[in-house]
Amino acid sequence: MSKENIIGKMTKLSSPWIDIGTILGQTSINEYMFYLKKFKAKKGDIVAAESKLPTGEGKVIDVIVWGRIMEIVSTNDFLPNEATKELTEENISIQDTILPLTKNDSICTVKNLGYTENLAGKKMELIPLNYPVSPGGAVKYPSSQDLSKLLNADMKGKNPIFIGNLVARKDVDVYVSADNMVSRHVLVIGMTGAGKSVWVRRAVRELMEKQYPILIFDPHGDNLGIVQKAKKLFPEHEIKLFYPKISAPKNNKEVIFTLIERLGNKLTEPQYEFLNWLLMNIEYETGTSLIDYIKILIQRSNSAAENKRNKSSNGLRGASHTGASTMGVVSRSLRKVEKKLTEMEQSNKSNMDKFPHLKFEELPDPYSQPEKIIAKSQVSILYLKGYESLPSSTIVSILLESLFNHRSVSSNVIPPFFTVLEEAQNFIPSKSEGQDGYPSVSTIKKIATEGRKFGVGLMLVSQRPYRLDETVCSQMNSYIILRLKNERDQNFVKKTMENWDNEEAKQLPNFANGQGIVSGQITNIPLTVQIKFDDDLTNDDIGDEDFINDVKNWKETYISKSKKLLSGKFDKIFKSDQRRPN
Amino acid sequence: MSSINTNSSLFKEFIQNAVTSPSPKVQKNFMEVMGSIVQIFKKICEDEKLIIDLEYKGKDYWKKAKDFKSCFVDGGVYSNFLSSSAPFAIRAKSFIIKPNEFGKNREKFEDTVGYFGDLYDPNNNIYDLSEDPYEDNQLLTKKKDAARITFEMAAVVKHVFNKQNFKYCFLHGPLQTPIMPFSGPEFPLFKKNVVKTLVPFFKLNDENDLDRHFINIYLNSNKYIQKAKFPIYGIVERTGSTIYLRNILIRAVKKGVLAEHDYDKTVSLIKRYKINDGNLFELILKNSQALKPIEVEKQIPSKAWGDWQNAMDSFPKVFVGYVKTNKNQSPIRIESLNYPKKLIEDYEYILACSKLLPSYGFPVGLDIVDKAARIPSWLGRTAKGYYLKYYLKIALDGNDKNTITSALKSISHGGRSWQKRPKAGKVSK
Repeated sequence: MSKENIIGKMTKLSSPWIDIGTILGQTSINEYMFYLKKFKAKKGDIVAAESKLPTGEGKVIDVIVWGRIMEIVSTNDFLPNEATKELTEENISIQDTILPLTKNDSICTVKNLGYTENLAGKKMELIPLNYPVSPGGAVKYPSSQDLSKLLNADMKGKNPIFIGNLVARKDVDVYVSADNMVSRHVLVIGMTGAGKSVWVRRAVRELMEKQYPILIFDPHGDNLGIVQKAKKLFPEHEIKLFYPKISAPKNNKEVIFTLIERLGNKLTEPQYEFLNWLLMNIEYETGTSLIDYIKILIQRSNSAAENKRNKSSNGLRGASHTGASTMGVVSRSLRKVEKKLTEMEQSNKSNMDKFPHLKFEELPDPYSQPEKIIAKSQVSILYLKGYESLPSSTIVSILLESLFNHRSVSSNVIPPFFTVLEEAQNFIPSKSEGQDGYPSVSTIKKIATEGRKFGVGLMLVSQRPYRLDETVCSQMNSYIILRLKNERDQNFVKKTMENWDNEEAKQLPNFANGQGIVSGQITNIPLTVQIKFDDDLTNDDIGDEDFINDVKNWKETYISKSKKLLSGKFDKIFKSDQRRPN
Repeated sequence: MSSINTNSSLFKEFIQNAVTSPSPKVQKNFMEVMGSIVQIFKKICEDEKLIIDLEYKGKDYWKKAKDFKSCFVDGGVYSNFLSSSAPFAIRAKSFIIKPNEFGKNREKFEDTVGYFGDLYDPNNNIYDLSEDPYEDNQLLTKKKDAARITFEMAAVVKHVFNKQNFKYCFLHGPLQTPIMPFSGPEFPLFKKNVVKTLVPFFKLNDENDLDRHFINIYLNSNKYIQKAKFPIYGIVERTGSTIYLRNILIRAVKKGVLAEHDYDKTVSLIKRYKINDGNLFELILKNSQALKPIEVEKQIPSKAWGDWQNAMDSFPKVFVGYVKTNKNQSPIRIESLNYPKKLIEDYEYILACSKLLPSYGFPVGLDIVDKAARIPSWLGRTAKGYYLKYYLKIALDGNDKNTITSALKSISHGGRSWQKRPKAGKVSK
């Protein structure tokens, strides 16, 4: 049977597949090599090879083996290396000489993805290969329609969402399973400018189409564009923009203690004892601002110290052995914490002020009003800019813990939801980064492990994957891997992902913006995809950096001019000062 | 170490000699003789104005030469002489290129002539075994050589016959080979159809069988290509020939500047000291210098077998020159059947082609066609394996122990391997 006939007989091709090469003499279950006709395929292309497989019943069946071109090596045996030296040194164009240009041999290495028995049926399941492809067989370039059929087979029941096109073939659309995305967690990694936000916007937009509740933790305001634009694009949706209110659940004073311990001064054993005494003796009501609570702690600590100095035991039961100076130290530390939290709150506020047209709301109490944060057709963005990592971690931990509890205890309060956590390395730092005291680590670990059962999905976004907690990462079932240049980040990817090989790792530094590998349970096979850019969801206020023009248009303020003037005058005075000792 | 121990005294002397004064007398003497010879030949060459300077300006040259359509020809042979069969494949390829063209029109690798058969098989042979009076297997190597020479020449003939519009045509190897070794009475004739295919211009006289003899075919081919409208050159690297230096001496004798007895002594000295054109002119010529071609006689009729002396006499004379293409290599030999009409221009083209292979210093077009024509060793090895297996299969099918043993001996690469073979197995001695 001729090469064309085998695949032709097995399939109802939407359009003919082009013969692009012949398989070389040695193949394995994982890969094969083939001789490529000139310019008929490129790296990253998905190709099909005809082959035969033994079945369990002792039969041999014709199959199509699908694979991805991982490497192409071209050689021209008729172009001596010495000749290129002469061309270079003499600046000669090869076209002018008698050196041959048409004798390039290209050998491709193909990594097998699996096989299909039939393209004609409704279901085209990609099955792992268990027998090497036949040497000498033809390699074909499948039509876009058939390739699309393969990539998106079996997606119908999984709520497919469109994410972009194959990098190697722009005419092949790629869909991923929304079901698997929202339930089985996704890790999105890539260096700055690699296209993480492009992916997040794409995923969020598609989930909005499906009215799925989304909660985004946004430390930099990357997602404010969704608020600006999505209201017009999704008029039926609620797009909520929250700023945090640092508070804690009534019985969770441990969180408060950690925050004070980490943000305040280093305390001694008796000082910690007194801090504990304060926390035990002063009631904390759920929903109370933590800053207000700390202010109360300071007042109480000050009055205790005053009483101690006056040798009064009033209100000091349990702390009578504590000295006034110890109490003073605790007060100072608490004041430092209060100051820091207040500064962060103000910083957050001043950042919010940069967007006067956006309406920021205080985050509702997740214990008593979770439905205001998570609801069908609602996107909630928590704007964390201005907050340092520890308070941010606390805020994330408290909020997620509460929402997760609502889902795990009773499924009627809030619907299943999907969480996007930007700058994930700040919330789930690896052990080597020092994760002690980061309350978000244990919360996110819990969600990563049990979230699927309760409809709480995670999408962790990070530019420094090697700084992420490995346990959490290993619970991620799908990956979006964008451009990564840092070797440690690349090694992390190799360690974390199954079936990852060096050839794939080599691609990572070369991806363009929005290009990356989509892998795991959201897709049938790992794909190199150009993610669709949703420019109608970008934030107009945070564009690309334009510092050169900023400086060009820079005008000194009245204050800075006056400051310079005064400074100059004072300089003169200082110079004429003869009373100053040398 | 054990090898050194068994040769300890010799090893000691050898090392001592090498590190103190390695063969001081003979080496010094060689240098002196060589130095003197170089001086003499340099003076003769200068007096005769044989040395010319060639110009090569890489980029500018190729801008100009990109319009030239050139052809490079070389042959490749596969042979495997078993006692059971002598499979033989031969081809002559042409690399034709005109740089200024684009795509497929720019370059072509052409199987100009080719053949595959068995030198034992009368039906699938280039030689007419019915006319092979001795059927002597010892001639296999000569048959192979004659076929190779004929096929390479036939490729050039074909281009001339097809009236190609080449600027140049180059053959990898001499344009004319001494044919004395093939002049013996036992050398077979080519088959008629082979002659018709290889030399289509040639009108066979059916009544004269010797028309199909290699020497006759080669002679006529030489004469035919001599009349070509484009220059044809044969180019030889790593030459050990003494033809140029001997002919310079002959010219000197003819002019009376060298006595005949001095000629004889010089030739004898050159032989003893293994001086040849390559090592002598490497010392005389500078980079990008050439020796003008001189007319030489390649065939020596007196050495041929009787019937062929006249034929050898009628071979065209050959013009031989040398070009030193780089600092480090011996000059390459250039042969033509006519004195070049545009000597400098032609030699500069050869020089430019060689500059594209700067270390090897040989026209890159011939290097390219050499690679294209050569029958790869993997193909040869594989083919040999199949032939041997088939031979063994027939032997086993025949069930004759002696035949099987003979077949196994063939497979075991000769007598010594056979002696050392494992003795296990059921095949009796």
